[in-house]
Amino acid sequence: MKRLSLILSVCLLVSLAVLPRGAQSAEPVTLEVWNVWDPAIDRDGRAMNEKFREYEKLNPGIQIKQTVMVYADLKQKAVIAGQGQQGPDLLHMLGEWVPEFSRMGILEDLTNEAKSWSDYAKFPQSAWNVSTVNGKIYGLPSIASTRVLLYRDDLFKKAGISKVPANWQELREAAKKLTADIGPDGKPRVYGFAFCSASTAIRGPQEFAVHLWSTGADLVKKEGDRWVPGFTPEQAAEVFQFYYDLMFVDKSAPPFSIGWEYQQLDSAFQAGTLAMAQDGAWMKRRAEQSESGNSWKTAYYPYSKAPATYLEVKIEGISKFSKHKKETWEFMKWLYSRDNDVYINQTGNLPSRLDAKESKFWVEDKVWRDTFLESAAFGHPMPPIPTSAILKGSMDSLQEVLYKRMSPQDAGKDYFNKVKAYLDTSVNK
Amino acid sequence: MRLTDSRALTRVRQFLWGTWRQGSSMRRQLVGRYGYLVLLIIIILAVDLYPFFDALRLSFFAKNLMNPGGDRFTGMGNFVRLLTKEPLFWPTLWNTIVFTIGSVVFEYLIGLGSALLLTSRFIPMKNLFKALVLLPWAVPIAINSLIWKFMLAPNYGFINQILDRLGAHDFLQMNWLGDLSLVMPVVIGVNVWRSFPFYAITLMAGLATIPKELYESAQVDGASWPARFWHITMPGIKNVSMVVVVLHLIWTFTNFDVIYLLTGGGPLHASEVLPTLLYQQAFELFDMGYASAIGLFILIFLVVTVGPLYFRANAKT
Repeated sequence: MKRLSLILSVCLLVSLAVLPRGAQSAEPVTLEVWNVWDPAIDRDGRAMNEKFREYEKLNPGIQIKQTVMVYADLKQKAVIAGQGQQGPDLLHMLGEWVPEFSRMGILEDLTNEAKSWSDYAKFPQSAWNVSTVNGKIYGLPSIASTRVLLYRDDLFKKAGISKVPANWQELREAAKKLTADIGPDGKPRVYGFAFCSASTAIRGPQEFAVHLWSTGADLVKKEGDRWVPGFTPEQAAEVFQFYYDLMFVDKSAPPFSIGWEYQQLDSAFQAGTLAMAQDGAWMKRRAEQSESGNSWKTAYYPYSKAPATYLEVKIEGISKFSKHKKETWEFMKWLYSRDNDVYINQTGNLPSRLDAKESKFWVEDKVWRDTFLESAAFGHPMPPIPTSAILKGSMDSLQEVLYKRMSPQDAGKDYFNKVKAYLDTSVNK
Repeated sequence: MRLTDSRALTRVRQFLWGTWRQGSSMRRQLVGRYGYLVLLIIIILAVDLYPFFDALRLSFFAKNLMNPGGDRFTGMGNFVRLLTKEPLFWPTLWNTIVFTIGSVVFEYLIGLGSALLLTSRFIPMKNLFKALVLLPWAVPIAINSLIWKFMLAPNYGFINQILDRLGAHDFLQMNWLGDLSLVMPVVIGVNVWRSFPFYAITLMAGLATIPKELYESAQVDGASWPARFWHITMPGIKNVSMVVVVLHLIWTFTNFDVIYLLTGGGPLHASEVLPTLLYQQAFELFDMGYASAIGLFILIFLVVTVGPLYFRANAKT
């Protein structure tokens, strides 16, 4: 009897193991989504959550499980999971992660799926380029937005400034005039401009890159089959000099802002202690929550020699180790179809889809929308190589300048040498 | 000798086989007795030993996640690079030592002071104060650090606002975490605030074991309060102090989250410690081989410096 029950048990286990997945159709498929849109605090996050539930209703065999993290944690978790041959089904990424993750082999190649998708052409080629490495597409470009000059119109009027700055010189002059409202300690309560410079900053290197691009340079460029710095030490020095002048010559950037990340910068603007900043479309959400929100205006970001801004493209990819790649791609196509894309991008980010930019929210406020959309004409994405060391290096050199350990000229040379050494030892190998 | 070994092995085999055949009750006994151990061994292997040996192996390889398949054996290459070519190594090691010693010294002093106050008969509502003292320890490290980061923020931070309202207007814009000379003391302060409750509670337990008669006799003999403290209290809590200090030397030297969340190792690496350097190499530059070498260096350094203290403390307890 015992032997019989043992044989039956073994047979049952073997049959469960060898039966095709289709035979177990009752088992629901759970798609794991890792992203940054928190339904508890974010209106777009709630909208996305509603769409997840809607998809579950439309597809009874599928469940969506969302895990929300901040970007730094998201990147770390994706890397660790990938090394353990694990990962989510749908992974939200910053564009600059794609070259790194694709080299690590943790992203699924979606070239065939993307190119055979009927909506492929609805997304701009510049956005697809960000998710493409060595001719292979590793994700769907969900968001494509630019950085602009965000400024307080009321403070401009108060300072008697009628023209929005268009170049660095005008920006410096305006920032000086806007630095005002002296407190009992003899220091201004409102500063004209501020920037990010934390050593672990995400935004700081992006701002730095915009400044470098606007000197007419590039971060890196390809010469033959080798990547080399796309700038000269003098061009980098010009950028460091710009930061130095704002901080120490004009004193129009808060001295206590050295080491700021985007949270402090955005909060200071919202609190009214900053009159100008290089910022993004997400500030629209904060404008709605702020009493002074009606005075928040946008303009093209001032430049030195050539108009430039950061074209920030965010990518939705599928983990190489996802067990439900087909289902995830179907879900992605549905989520980023025109109407759904409009629905989940109501407040902050600009959808990448060309036909989704006419959403109700953005149409209602053309002043904001058009600056971001038109800036894309001179928008630069990050280069299609791993850039972590290049970006971190810019903040390290900037801190050397801000703590007066290096002159802007020496920092320019220092940064050039760091980028060159990194490209030679890690990228061109 | 070999013959004896062989016989002994045969006997063990016979015992095990015989036990197995003796029936289900004996088998159950065996499984019951050693089954727990098997689970424990599997957990230790999976959680402790596998990562340790894998990191040990990696430290001898050039392994960058962005270059899969490009791993190559470099022998001591990563260690040589760390000790001779890494410009951040010596400043970072120094910062780690300052952070560790500074934290442990002040944690101990404040923890001991709190424990003495909370066991003193002159303090009312002891249970309430005990609960209050425990609060920093009970709050998760990440939340602690982020709260402090906001409290220390220039302009709108709680600390600067209070100082400003008290008339110290110069402090309103003080960037506590952005000042090269202030950042380390401030980070140590936050770490002390978070960790001293552990000392307080542990030392309170140590104080409770000292017989009251000793104090009464000393008092009868006319011993002053400092004399009673040095000759009765301190010897009474010596062993528990040793254990707490040694544990915290290890925990603080390997602490990552407090500094990473407060400063990320900045500004200009002024608060960079070995664990944050390791993190940068592993998760920002993906250089796992080099990061493993840093990890192994931390282990060796702790074994050499804190190891003897640890074994001494263990022997005494």
